[in-house]
Amino acid sequence: MTTAIQTDHLVKKFRRVKALQGLTLTVPRGAVYALVGPNGAGKTTAIKILMNILRSTSGRAEVLGIDSSHIRGRLLESIGYVSENQEMPEWMTVGALLAYLRPFYPAWDSNLEADLIKQFDLPRDRKLRHLSRGMRMKAALASSLAYHPKLIVLDEPFTGLDPLVRDELIQGLLDRAEESTIFVSSHDLAEIETFASHVAYLEEGKLRFSEELSSLVDRFREVELTFDAPPALPQQPPDTWVQLSASAAVVRFTESRFDAERTNTDIQKIFGEPRNVKFSPMSLRSIFLAMAKSGRNSA
Amino acid sequence: MNQVLNIFRKDIRHHWKEIAASLALLLGFMWMQLQEWAHSDVKAYDLGSIAIFGFLGQLVVPLVPISWMFLIVRAVQGESLVGDRQFWITRPYDWKNLAAAKLLFILAFISLPLFIADIFLLAKAGFSPLSYVGPLFWLQLIWMLILFLPTAALAAVTRSIGQMLLALLFVVVFVIALSALSEAISNSGFANFSANVIFLLTIATVSAVLLQQYSLRKTGQSRLMLVGLAAAIALVLVATPYRTLIAHEYPLATAASAPLHLTLLPPPPPSVGSTYNFGNNMPVHLSFSVSGLPKDSFVLLNGRIITLTNSRGAHWDSGWLASRMPVFPDQSSMSADFYMKNDEYDRLKSSPVHAHLLLAFTVFHDKDQNQLIVPSGEFFLPGYGFCSASPRSWAAASCRVPLRIADYLVLTEEMAKSTCPLGKNETPANPGDMARQFLENEGPVEPGISPVGIKQVILYDWTHSDRRIPGVCPGTPLTVSYPEETGHTRIELDFDNLPLPDRRPGSDSPGFFGSAIILGH
Repeated sequence: MTTAIQTDHLVKKFRRVKALQGLTLTVPRGAVYALVGPNGAGKTTAIKILMNILRSTSGRAEVLGIDSSHIRGRLLESIGYVSENQEMPEWMTVGALLAYLRPFYPAWDSNLEADLIKQFDLPRDRKLRHLSRGMRMKAALASSLAYHPKLIVLDEPFTGLDPLVRDELIQGLLDRAEESTIFVSSHDLAEIETFASHVAYLEEGKLRFSEELSSLVDRFREVELTFDAPPALPQQPPDTWVQLSASAAVVRFTESRFDAERTNTDIQKIFGEPRNVKFSPMSLRSIFLAMAKSGRNSA
Repeated sequence: MNQVLNIFRKDIRHHWKEIAASLALLLGFMWMQLQEWAHSDVKAYDLGSIAIFGFLGQLVVPLVPISWMFLIVRAVQGESLVGDRQFWITRPYDWKNLAAAKLLFILAFISLPLFIADIFLLAKAGFSPLSYVGPLFWLQLIWMLILFLPTAALAAVTRSIGQMLLALLFVVVFVIALSALSEAISNSGFANFSANVIFLLTIATVSAVLLQQYSLRKTGQSRLMLVGLAAAIALVLVATPYRTLIAHEYPLATAASAPLHLTLLPPPPPSVGSTYNFGNNMPVHLSFSVSGLPKDSFVLLNGRIITLTNSRGAHWDSGWLASRMPVFPDQSSMSADFYMKNDEYDRLKSSPVHAHLLLAFTVFHDKDQNQLIVPSGEFFLPGYGFCSASPRSWAAASCRVPLRIADYLVLTEEMAKSTCPLGKNETPANPGDMARQFLENEGPVEPGISPVGIKQVILYDWTHSDRRIPGVCPGTPLTVSYPEETGHTRIELDFDNLPLPDRRPGSDSPGFFGSAIILGH
């Protein structure tokens, strides 16, 4: 099996509100898959369905080859789940939490547990209720990594964390990325840009696109054309041009399927020979902003 | 099993304070019991000890089950079954193991301590615990079904103590509403059938709720099931065919098969004295002469229904009124009492009424009579418990009674043979005048925290209810018999043209009968 997660036309309605509108995505094994989107896009709902916390209204989802509605009990021995909203047993100390969870997991690795405690600088004898938000997330993550899960599901794990803690968490995750598939949701692109291998964009319950991060970054370019005089903008620009705009003698747009030769050909067909052509790589954030503003599906 | 023990150990660590408090209360209760027994002799049961132990007892007795409920709620809500944010729901918990861990917690810190406390109390009370192993388990089962399961079910559909208290408030309001509904339904006092159905429905529903919550965590559905239970209970209360059930349980006696014959007595002449205030309720009293009861039999009046209809068609039905009044063969009279609302009485009294009376009896064959000369100090009353005579007291004897007693037991004293000294201005009783008490086992076990109850045995002269009983003293002969139930029957009587006298609110008349309306020709 090459997929860790597969959803097929997943729909979730809360009374009249459609939180998910036919979500279909595939998460390959070994991927660090980031599901991004604004607040209220349906990311948490999708994750809760994958974890069998919620039932979908229609469609189906498979997690590690198992129908997600059957994910419970021993099947959770190979899945780690951390959420910003999770209610932890606040009365427990970090050590007591780990000791309590240890017997639940046959694959629990006490050496790894010790490493994680050290790596995250967790105080074993402090109660969870007395930990900062960042430390609590680290404790939750340590308790979800110590048994070598095949799949790690993280729902907005970095929200509200300072950059130092965030980097520690990401490093902790990356150290285990080889043995696990990581599925992480976030509304902050900058935080997943550094480590995600795949990215999907969810908006209003609909998947706008889903692909490898490297190919996404490769195919998007910010294009700036400089002319001697203000040119006329085309009525029908190519579908791959997003956010076409002109300012005096300068035309800017985002090319969503960048190929130097083809893009140059398209430019010459529409504008003739510009005085200057500049292709700039885009940050993930710029790509998503362009996508969100254009409201167009580049997938 | 490892998972069960792991969760169980975690719960102990988490709830050790609640466990300690609950065990301390149980120990307090045991100490109270021992103190109460030490003061149960009516001679020593003075006002001071009544005040001290009565107050402490009243405080501790409800606190023990409340602490159990709290412990159950804390344990169940430790892994809350409501909501979707709890950390444990994404961990490899097996729901059966989780439920088993909670059950183990209840058994270990509620049932087992109660069991041990009961064994200790039984032994301290002079009863061999080994003789009561069955009833002790019954007692455990009753607590489990009546308190632990419903509490766990409510805890399983609530998130916090606050929500639980709100749920309990709903339960209290529902019970009050049910009680009001019951008042409005004629014959609902005949609750044998409906109570059993409601009990079974409740147990089945709370078990289903627990099963569903632990296996599927469908809180909305579970809450609906509990609301459905409330509706079903109300429906059972409303739809039970009480009159049919009464007729079925108490077949109509023919003139030949009737266990006794009753003749309505004329009302006594008005008397003078103080008046009891019955508020808006008017007591109605019918007296009968009794005959035809065989010497070796007696009957127990289990309930009665009276309907009054006047010539203008106005109608009043008392509905089933339960009672446990024995009628013994040497008794010359018995009575049946009812309460009517004043306005209902006034509505009927414009013309003489037709009265239809239904009296439901259990018939007993009195047998296995034993003579007992009351010794000084404590004595064992077979089939009942350890008793001490209480001379010159309102109760003849004070007894420590275990979980289970004989099904039926009758104590008889020939008052003239009492060895108690006569009081000032007291005249000796006539030879042959009897004082009696009928005692019965009310279920598989007497439910309670303690396996031993203190019972005051009160002897009555059932023919002359206002007569003072000379009491039981060392040397007084008592007859103890163990009657056998032989059947149920009902007698229906009709009386025409009964005049309804004017109500006399505030009239000067003695005791109950003074202000009661007494029907008769």
